[in-house]
Amino acid sequence: MNIILDVQYLCKTFDDTRVLNDINFKVNEGEFIAIMGQSGSGKSTLLYNISGMDSPTSGNVWLRDKEISKLKDTRMSEIRLKQMGFIFQHAYLLKNLSIRDNIVLPGFKLGKLSREQVNQNADALMIKTGIRNVADHDIKRVSGGQLQRAAICRALINQPDILFGDEPTGSLNSSTTNEVMDIINAVNADGTTVIIVTHDAKVAARAGRVIFLADGNIHEELIMGKYDRDEKKKLAREKKLFEWLEKQGF
Amino acid sequence: MDWLIVKNDFIRNKVINLSLLLFMMFSVGLAALSMMVAVQTYTSISELYEIAQPPHFMQMHKGEIDREKIDEFMSAYEGMAYWQTITMINAYGENITIAGQKDTYDLSDCRLDIGLVMQNEAKDLLLNAKHEPVTMRKGEIGIPVLLRDMYGMEIGDHVILTNQNVTKEFVIREFILDSMMNSTMASSTRILLSHEDFEMLSGDIGENEYLIEAYLTNAKEASAFQTAYENAGLPQNGQAVTYTIIFMLSALRDIVTVFVLLLVSILLIFVSFICIRFTIMAALAEEISEIGTMKAIGLSFSDIRAIYLNKYRVLALAGVIAGYIMALSISSVFTKHIGDTFGNMKISPLAVILSLVVSCLVFFLINHYCKKVLKKIKRVTVVDALVSGKGFEKEKGGIKDGLFKSKTLSVNWLMGIREVFYRFTNWIVVFAVVSIAVLMILVPVNLMSTFEAPEFITYMGSSLEDILIEVENGENLETSYARVKQALGNDDAIDKYFEYRRVRVQTADAEGELMNLKIDTGDNAGNELQYLSGKAPEEDNEIAISYLNANAIGKKDGDSMLLFYDNKVQEFVISGAYQDVTSGGYTAKSKYNFSELTAEKYSFSVNLKDKAEIGKKVHEWSTALGAGVTVDPMEDFINQTLGGVVKQLKTVVFATIIIGACMAMLITVLFLKLRLAKDSYEVAALKAVGFSAHDIQQQYMIKTGCVAIIGILAGIILTKFLGERIVNTALSIAGLGIKKVELITNPMVEYILCPLLLLVLILLVTRIAVRTIKNCNIISIKNE
Repeated sequence: MNIILDVQYLCKTFDDTRVLNDINFKVNEGEFIAIMGQSGSGKSTLLYNISGMDSPTSGNVWLRDKEISKLKDTRMSEIRLKQMGFIFQHAYLLKNLSIRDNIVLPGFKLGKLSREQVNQNADALMIKTGIRNVADHDIKRVSGGQLQRAAICRALINQPDILFGDEPTGSLNSSTTNEVMDIINAVNADGTTVIIVTHDAKVAARAGRVIFLADGNIHEELIMGKYDRDEKKKLAREKKLFEWLEKQGF
Repeated sequence: MDWLIVKNDFIRNKVINLSLLLFMMFSVGLAALSMMVAVQTYTSISELYEIAQPPHFMQMHKGEIDREKIDEFMSAYEGMAYWQTITMINAYGENITIAGQKDTYDLSDCRLDIGLVMQNEAKDLLLNAKHEPVTMRKGEIGIPVLLRDMYGMEIGDHVILTNQNVTKEFVIREFILDSMMNSTMASSTRILLSHEDFEMLSGDIGENEYLIEAYLTNAKEASAFQTAYENAGLPQNGQAVTYTIIFMLSALRDIVTVFVLLLVSILLIFVSFICIRFTIMAALAEEISEIGTMKAIGLSFSDIRAIYLNKYRVLALAGVIAGYIMALSISSVFTKHIGDTFGNMKISPLAVILSLVVSCLVFFLINHYCKKVLKKIKRVTVVDALVSGKGFEKEKGGIKDGLFKSKTLSVNWLMGIREVFYRFTNWIVVFAVVSIAVLMILVPVNLMSTFEAPEFITYMGSSLEDILIEVENGENLETSYARVKQALGNDDAIDKYFEYRRVRVQTADAEGELMNLKIDTGDNAGNELQYLSGKAPEEDNEIAISYLNANAIGKKDGDSMLLFYDNKVQEFVISGAYQDVTSGGYTAKSKYNFSELTAEKYSFSVNLKDKAEIGKKVHEWSTALGAGVTVDPMEDFINQTLGGVVKQLKTVVFATIIIGACMAMLITVLFLKLRLAKDSYEVAALKAVGFSAHDIQQQYMIKTGCVAIIGILAGIILTKFLGERIVNTALSIAGLGIKKVELITNPMVEYILCPLLLLVLILLVTRIAVRTIKNCNIISIKNE
């Protein structure tokens, strides 16, 4: 397996408070990692530092053969555009654009494919995520679940190598959470590496590996194995994770 | 508690509050300043006139006079309070040499007729800067401030008067204020000598000219008196002016200043209102949940409004005080000309009080406007504020899709242009301010280029030619005319020339009373003037009349009028009305030559084949044609006549450009600061999906640039539609005989230089303001 992300001795300090403390871990291509931890454990900070949204105080982050932790804004934006996709707790779609325009925007910006091709890809993604019927709607006139699916389509339009998610289902109800996570699992099954931060054990149970963070350190890791949609296997994974989390004091 | 809220708000929103304060300060400052200059102009002139006592009617006359006949007429005229006939020795500029401390020069290039006089006994006095009548001792000379300003003379400089027989040297002891001839728009100026020197030079330097001055019990009767005087066949070989014309000519320069200051201050008040509305709306939107909570716990509308209103009241009060102090401290710059021309007066108490009243008025206007805007608090419901999140914003129309349809335009341009087109109301502040700034800059700039343009002469009742030759000499008029005619006829350098002969007839005014009408006759009469209505006369029975005459007669083009002359009555059709500032604005033009009548004046407008020869020809003809004939290059005529106005206007225009540009820049920064705070969510989202700070900055540059360009275009259109109306309204109010001026613009300045300068400045400040975008990211949004 090729390593897509290599985090080395990553530290992050806000004023005098050390939030992340010498974090080391590697992510293989095609892996699905869930980062968990108590509130204030530094999980979101870790996600933003390894995705280049924020700069670590010290340490290195390698994306394949590129060290990205100290890149300038323009270069980092380029990497974010080409190789990374983001989903947040809220969809953060642009208010003045329709669902479709929001999705094609990064594709147009990248300019790798023709605009026609980008539109076709957007259509395909919207069909896959079930929002084709609201493609030309104003974002104020669709549901939260549809918005989050649109955000996933936007994150995937440039076929990124890694999809980052910060509580991607945090604002959704349980059935919509399942639908959204099904999509993320499908994206992962297609070969995209996925790293998400979540406090929802059911969501984390869909990952191949769970990293538990405590007081800015990686406290423990749990290998969950490949996700299977079979209900029994799903329940077994969830049980395994619940027990492990209990041991971590979660 | 309210004060604590106000104080905290000031600390939190320093930049926005400071900008608001500055706008309020400048709008109040300029409004107060324009009032100060207006009052100061009026009171200074009034005070000068009170002591100097210029006549209500004055007739200049070259040639012999019969004093007894004049006295007889004056004493018999009902309503006559006082009269005097003053002798003035005409001196030619080339005969006056100034030996200054730095250099020696003569006044040969002076277009004004220079007259040597002695101090009068009781009225029409020449004063010093302290408004005291000046008396010269032997060997001393008093120079009018007008000449001092034109040539930079100083006290102690030597003035040498020479003629064929005489050379006499004087020392400048005083610069004098001449209540009657203190404007470059007057045709003459007076130099004061001692009685002894005057008597000695009489007859040696130049011929005598007489000023026949009348003081009436009612100054408003001056026009009626003029008609009676002219009908009595009394001396009238020269200009005649009435009190109103004297006043207006003196004050033109300062009236223009007042007008520009007033215009700028009104526009700034508008801008202040726009800023106030924008900042209030931004503050209300930001604090919508607090407002909702206050409403929910039962605070009344007036209680909630008071919290916000107090802040703007404090700001407005501070702005009014600062603006008023600013006006007081810089008033000396704008009233310098008034002081120089009409005497060094301190700012009158009336100016101080009235400008304070204007400042208070602006304060109440701001206060009232704030109250009006804050009424929105009343309309918002607790549900709007706390539950639905609708807030103060109106429901906007559906999304305008289409970005995905774009084939080629770069994404940054797409994002920028889409916002400008689909969400233009978001940028209305920048649009409005830029349009106002353009109007603010272009109206004075165009007004200045109009005053500077050679074509402006056509608004003054003269045609646009290279050289103007005037023959005004009673006894030798026909001889001088023949001499000029001969000189022009034999000169190959001339491309073409037109001659005009001035005659005087009578007609009936609007009330049916007889009035005098001076008509310039000639084949080309009235051909190159600007007509308010109708056209130049084409047939012999047609006549074009000046705007003031049209008002006096109460007729318009197409009407017929009767002319009485040489015991005959002839009907003429009015072909058109034009504007004129020459001869007091009461003139007429006709092709019919009235050969039965004696000419009062001849004038020739000459065009040369080679324009480079103008200077040479003027000198040649001046020398050859001698006394009684004035030869002026038209450009000099304009420069010397309007030079003072243009000079003053230049200072005001420069100040206006700076104020306009600073206003546009400041508002743009203020707006962008608030806009970026509002857009932080969108900026963060764009950054998260891979747009760099540079991309987003470019989008804002495109948005601001597009709005600024639209604003500039709107400003230019506004200037085209309103500029002339504003100027014409002001000119009509001034009553100079000009009703309508088509602004003569310099396309390079109006369409390229000014817009480009403004656009570059706006983009520059935008570039600086959007630098903060690099600090905005999704983490900061999440943490809020």
